[in-house]
Order: sequence, then structure tokens, then C-alpha cells
Amino acid sequence: MDAVRLMKELRVNYEQEVDFLPREAGLDLIVSAQQSGGQITARSRDVTVEDLWSLTSFFGYSTQSFVQAVSLLDRFLAMMRVQPKHLSCVSLSCLHLAARVTEEECDLTPADELIRIGQCRFTASDLGRMEKIVTEKLRFKSKAVTALTFLQLYHQITLTHATYRKETLSLEKLEAQLKACLCRIAFSKAKPSVLALALLRQEMKSLQSEDMLEISFHIQRHLKIPDAELQLWSEWVARRLSDYASPKCSKPNHRKLQWIVSRRTAQNLHSHRSVPELPTIPEGCWDESESEDSGEDVMSSGDESLCSSLGSDAEGPFFPLHLRRQYLAA
Amino acid sequence: MMGDRPSPPRAMSSAPTSSPSVDKVDGFSRKSVRKAKQKRSQSSSQFRSQGKPIELTPLPLLKDVPVPEQPELFLKKLQQCCTVFDFMDTLSDLKMKEYKRSTLNELVDYVTISRGYLTEQAYPEVVKMVSHNIFRTLPPSDSNEFDPEEDEPTLEASWPHLQLVYEFFIRFLESQEFQPSIAKKYIDQKFVLQLLELFDSEDPRERDYLKTVLHRIYGKFLGLRAFIRKQINNIFLRFVYETEHFNGVAELLEILGSIINGFALPLKAEHKQFLVKVLIPLHTVRSLSLFHAQLAYCIVQFLEKDPTLTEPVIRGLLKFWPKTCSQKEVMFLGELEEILDVIEPTQFVKIQEPLFKQISRCVSSPHFQVAERALYYWNNEYIMSLIEENSSVILPIMFASLYRISKEHWNPAIVALVYNVLKAFMEMNSTLFDELTATYKSDRQREKKKEKEREELWKKLEDLELKRGLRSDGIIPT
Repeated sequence: MDAVRLMKELRVNYEQEVDFLPREAGLDLIVSAQQSGGQITARSRDVTVEDLWSLTSFFGYSTQSFVQAVSLLDRFLAMMRVQPKHLSCVSLSCLHLAARVTEEECDLTPADELIRIGQCRFTASDLGRMEKIVTEKLRFKSKAVTALTFLQLYHQITLTHATYRKETLSLEKLEAQLKACLCRIAFSKAKPSVLALALLRQEMKSLQSEDMLEISFHIQRHLKIPDAELQLWSEWVARRLSDYASPKCSKPNHRKLQWIVSRRTAQNLHSHRSVPELPTIPEGCWDESESEDSGEDVMSSGDESLCSSLGSDAEGPFFPLHLRRQYLAA
Repeated sequence: MMGDRPSPPRAMSSAPTSSPSVDKVDGFSRKSVRKAKQKRSQSSSQFRSQGKPIELTPLPLLKDVPVPEQPELFLKKLQQCCTVFDFMDTLSDLKMKEYKRSTLNELVDYVTISRGYLTEQAYPEVVKMVSHNIFRTLPPSDSNEFDPEEDEPTLEASWPHLQLVYEFFIRFLESQEFQPSIAKKYIDQKFVLQLLELFDSEDPRERDYLKTVLHRIYGKFLGLRAFIRKQINNIFLRFVYETEHFNGVAELLEILGSIINGFALPLKAEHKQFLVKVLIPLHTVRSLSLFHAQLAYCIVQFLEKDPTLTEPVIRGLLKFWPKTCSQKEVMFLGELEEILDVIEPTQFVKIQEPLFKQISRCVSSPHFQVAERALYYWNNEYIMSLIEENSSVILPIMFASLYRISKEHWNPAIVALVYNVLKAFMEMNSTLFDELTATYKSDRQREKKKEKEREELWKKLEDLELKRGLRSDGIIPT
């Protein structure tokens, strides 16, 4: 695709992106909700999105399915008051919807399997009903314009201007970083074009490529993205990515996964070390009484190498007599 | 004198290893397909009386005799109990058998509660009586078709007497008046050797008593300890490398467990040798399930005494990892988890690579119990913490097989467990996980592309062949 056509497409998407932004007021409600209030909180939304990512990855769905699913989810949550107990059903139906328009028929995982692996409590028919509700409320027809849309366009544009950079500017890496950001509700407020640009610039900075950054400026001017907005989101992105890369500690809020094993294995698991019936026999140290009959006694020679012979013959003192006396005297 | 008989050494069964009567599948004998076995009556190598009934003069009860006379009466009763009766013949000497049984019973009580009865003369008489009763050549087992896991053991017919003799001996050894310095003249290496041979008895009750007897002897006779350890070594080595037959492995291991538990630090080289040269190879034996719990206990005790032994132990287990027996593989995984439960983080780092390479193979096993057992490691909090600390090394090793099984395994429960494991990894080290996913995907795509190119190449060749065929003689090759 040549540069001119790409820029045109960029503009078109830029104009459309507002239609796919979640209601800001709705997002604010979620962010401000308390844990105990019986409402969906930012934390619970983030955890659900992380679960969605796990499932996407597990079933081999594309990043596009994930991003579409999150877009649907955020828009729905910002519009409707959803009870926490329905959250997993909503999110899974978003994923299923998204996958259906994105993935090949043969790669689609059936609803039962999604529910089973996701360890959810509802049925496939529940899922079907929820999908209908989501479709209706969001007037879902086709794919939304998301940060991924822009990311892909930006990437292509950059490459047309700097083809020798093909290997270094990795779209996969950018997608992974986008995914990391989408797992935090704070980024749902960002305009997709801005978020994508912030990610792009972050990566270009880490590659220390001046000429690529020049291209990103070009894009910014073309779309008339204000500096302040870009700066703000660039900071957020940088912080999020550094958190993401740092070693994580265990999450206490996370729902504990079920470990279902077969009966046989379960039986064997609990036959751990049984308490022995025989009392411990302490080993005597270099004891005179232990070697009363030097002919019978066999002590190791005292050298710690594993090459010494196994259990010497019960003939003659192993340890030279004069040394033994010396040892005992010490 | 009646009852005076030698005890010849135990004859080693020299049965051939091939058993043509048992069906073989894939080279392994099928347990389920066996001829119905006739239960052979227990034979005995004990000398049988020539049909003359045994007569013993009934003696008064110990409690009915004044205390100063008791020691002498005690000796007389011991001597009487040296007479061994034939239990193969269930009808002979019934009255005398009952007399001996009640006498033995009386002796058991006497030894337990009395004071001042143990004179120096008593020791040789006690040892003689016990020797006469218990030391015998064990009847050979039902050739090599006896499966210790499935078949009923042949029980000792003379158990009514034998049990009381063992009971008596144990209480004698445990008695407050017992003096090892006197006893060691009679309980010597020869005695111990004969005792050890009896551990091959098929009767589990007998082995249980023997276990207690040997345990007490080991505890009290310091001068015999090294000898006992050496003989047990020999038994095990013979078991592993020559015969694969010995019924008393579990009991001996239980005794060893209590010995290992009492090892002084630093561990002597002899003990470390024992661990590496005897205990680890014991894992290779086919009948491992009979004594695995005791063996695992010994291993873990060793490691708790000296953590630096962890590396040789785990490398040893990995070297002997079962390749065709899934039941054993599950046992190994259980033992490995017990070892990991007590492992020190520094030791863990030393063996993590070969260890997780093996776990990665187990997790991909088509045998679902093996896969399940291996995956369950991720439910162990301590192991998880170790994995988390070293995720950058472990995740790349596990990733490919986990990802592959998530798509390919036939068992849905396994697939669900794999999800748990992958999710855990994802949270542990997100960036590394992303990298590995990307690499995996691009590798798969490259493979697919190659596959496609190969197919197209073949197709081209086919077309060429067809064209060539048409051109030369106009006949289309079939």
C-alpha cells in the first residue's frame, strides 16, 4: 500500500474512532466504585480482561479478537449497570462475538469449551442470551476502530518510509504492549489513535531511531493530535510498560484456579510420608564403646570422597591406631 | 536330644528367568492372563520326626514356684521350648503343641513383668531357644510366577508358636535387665546373618516381627552396627543386580529410615556411598511399588540431613527415569515432589534445567495420569515460589510442550490443567511469555510455509512426470 493511500485511510479511521469510544461517565463510575459496594470495580474489570487475554492466547485467537472483545466489553460496561456476578458472562460473550467476526470458522472454539476452560459457572445458553443483549445494546455490526487499527496503519506507514527497519520495528511487540495497556481500565479513556501513537513513539525511543521518530511526528501533524494529549498518554504508557516488565508478585485478589484431578491421582497425592513406627536410632560418634572389638568394627576412613569403597571388610582397624588415639584426645 | 538340628544356609533359588507359560504383550508379561494357579501347600525344610510322638514332661507354672527357684525353672522351660513341632501334619502332637504354646505365653509374660530373673546362664539358653525355633531354611517361593503385588503370600504354618517366640525375644531385648555386654557373646554376627536371611519370608507378620527384632539389636549392639549395614548393602545389591527377588526390602528400608534419621553430621562418606550406590539403583527394580514409600522416606531423610546431596540424588533419579512403565513414572513424580518440598533454593537452581526438561516430557505424556501428576506440581505453593524465582530459565523449557498439548492432548481434563499452568506462567513473567508466544507462532508459521512449499514441489514434480509421460509415447501412466 502506498503512502498516500495509507494516510487517507488513517484519516478515515481517525474520523470514525469517536463512535467507538466508551462513555466517559460510565468509565468514571467504574473507576470510582468501591470494592464493597457490590458494583464492578476497576480491579474486577482489569482481572476479567486479563482472563480474556489468557483465553485468547490459549485458544490461539489473534490479538484482533482480543482488542475487539475489550472494546465491546468497555463500551457495554460504560453503558449498562452490570452486576459483578454477571461480569464473566459478559466478558466471555464479548470474546465469543469478537472471535466470530475475526477468526476463521475452523479456528473458533465452541462455547462449551470456552466456558469449561474459563472455569465459569454459567451455561452455553446463558452465553448465547448475553451475546444477543450485547449485540443489541451496542448495535454491533462489524469491527470497531481500535488502537490496533491505528497501530497496524502506523506500522505500515513507518515501513514505507523506512523499509530497512523492517526487522527492528516489530508489530508483534507493539501488539503485546497494547495488550498490556488494555488490561488497565485507565487506557480505555484514551483515544485509540493517540494511544497507538504513544506506543509507537515509546518503542521508537527504545530503539533510539531518530528517523523513525521523525515519521511519528509526521503522523501526529497529519492527524493534528495536540502535544499535551500525546504527552500525557506517553507518560501513562511508559509507566505501565515498566510495571509490566518488572517481576510480579503474587496477586492476592485473583480468583484461585480450580485444580481438578482424577480420583486415582487424588488418592496418591495424600499418601505422603507416613510417620515411621520405628523410633530413631542416633548414630554414635567416634566412641570407644562402639569399637570395643577392633576386629568387628568398621568405621569410614574419614575422608569425604565418594570414591572410598563401600562398607569395608570387618577385618583389622580401618583407622590407624595412633591416629585414632590422637583424634579422641583432641 | 530332640529338637537339636542344624540350620543350613538359605538356598538361593536359581530358577531360570524365562517363563514361557506367561503370555507376553510387547515383551512385557500380561498379569491378567495367567493360568489358574494351584495353591501349593507350604513345604518345609524342617526335620520331620519319624512318627514318634514327642513327649515333654509338664513343668509347674512359674508363678506357683517360690521366687528363688524361678530362674532355674525358667531355664528348664526354655530348654523345653527348643523342641520344634511339625505343623505340616495338623493332627500330630496336638496336646504337646498346646503345652508349648502355653509355656511360651507364660515366658512372654514372665519376661515382661519379672525382676531379677535374668542370670548370666539365661542368655545362651534364650538365644538357643530362639535360634532353634526361627532359624530354618525358608521354603522356595512358587518359582518366579509369584507376583508379590497380586498373589496371596504363603503364610507360615507354625505361626502359633513362632509368633510367641518372636514376641518373647523382643520383650527379652527390651527388658530393663537386659545387658548387651553379656548378650553380645551369643548375639553375634552369625546370629545376625541368619536373622537377615529370614527377611525373605513370605509371611508379612513374620517380617514385621523381624523388623522390630533387628531394630532393637541395631540399637543396642553398637559393635554389630557396621556389620548389619554391610549385610543389608549386600542384600540390596544382590536384589538389584542379580535376583530382583527379596521379600523383606520394605522392612529393611523402614529400619534404615530410623537409622538415617539418627545420622550424625557431617555425614560419613560410607553413608553417602550407600545413598548413591544402593538406594538410588533400588529405584530401577520392577517391584518398586512394594517398598516405594519406605524408599522415598529414606531418600528425603538423607536430603534433610545433608542438602548438598540433592544434586546427585535428582540426577540419579533422572538417569533411571522409567521409560515404559507409567505406574512407576507416577511414583517417581510423587517422590520428586516430596524432594522438592524440602529442597533448598540454591540446590534447586543447580538441577532445574534437567529437571524441568523431564517434567516437560511427563507433561506431554499420552498417559493421562502421568501428565496429570506432573501438572499438579503447579498447585504446590513452595514449588511455585521456586519456579517464580527462576521463571526466565524454566518457562522457555516448558513452554513449547505446554502450548502443544493445549492443542493436541486427547484428555480434556489435562487441557484444563494446562490452562492453569499457562495462566500461572503468564502472570509470573508476562514479557517473557509474550516473547515465547511470538517465537512459537512464527516458528509454526514457518513450518506451515515449508510444508506448503514441499507439497507444491511434489505437485510440480507430478505434473512434470505426467507431461513427460504424455510427450514420449502418448500413453498416460497409471
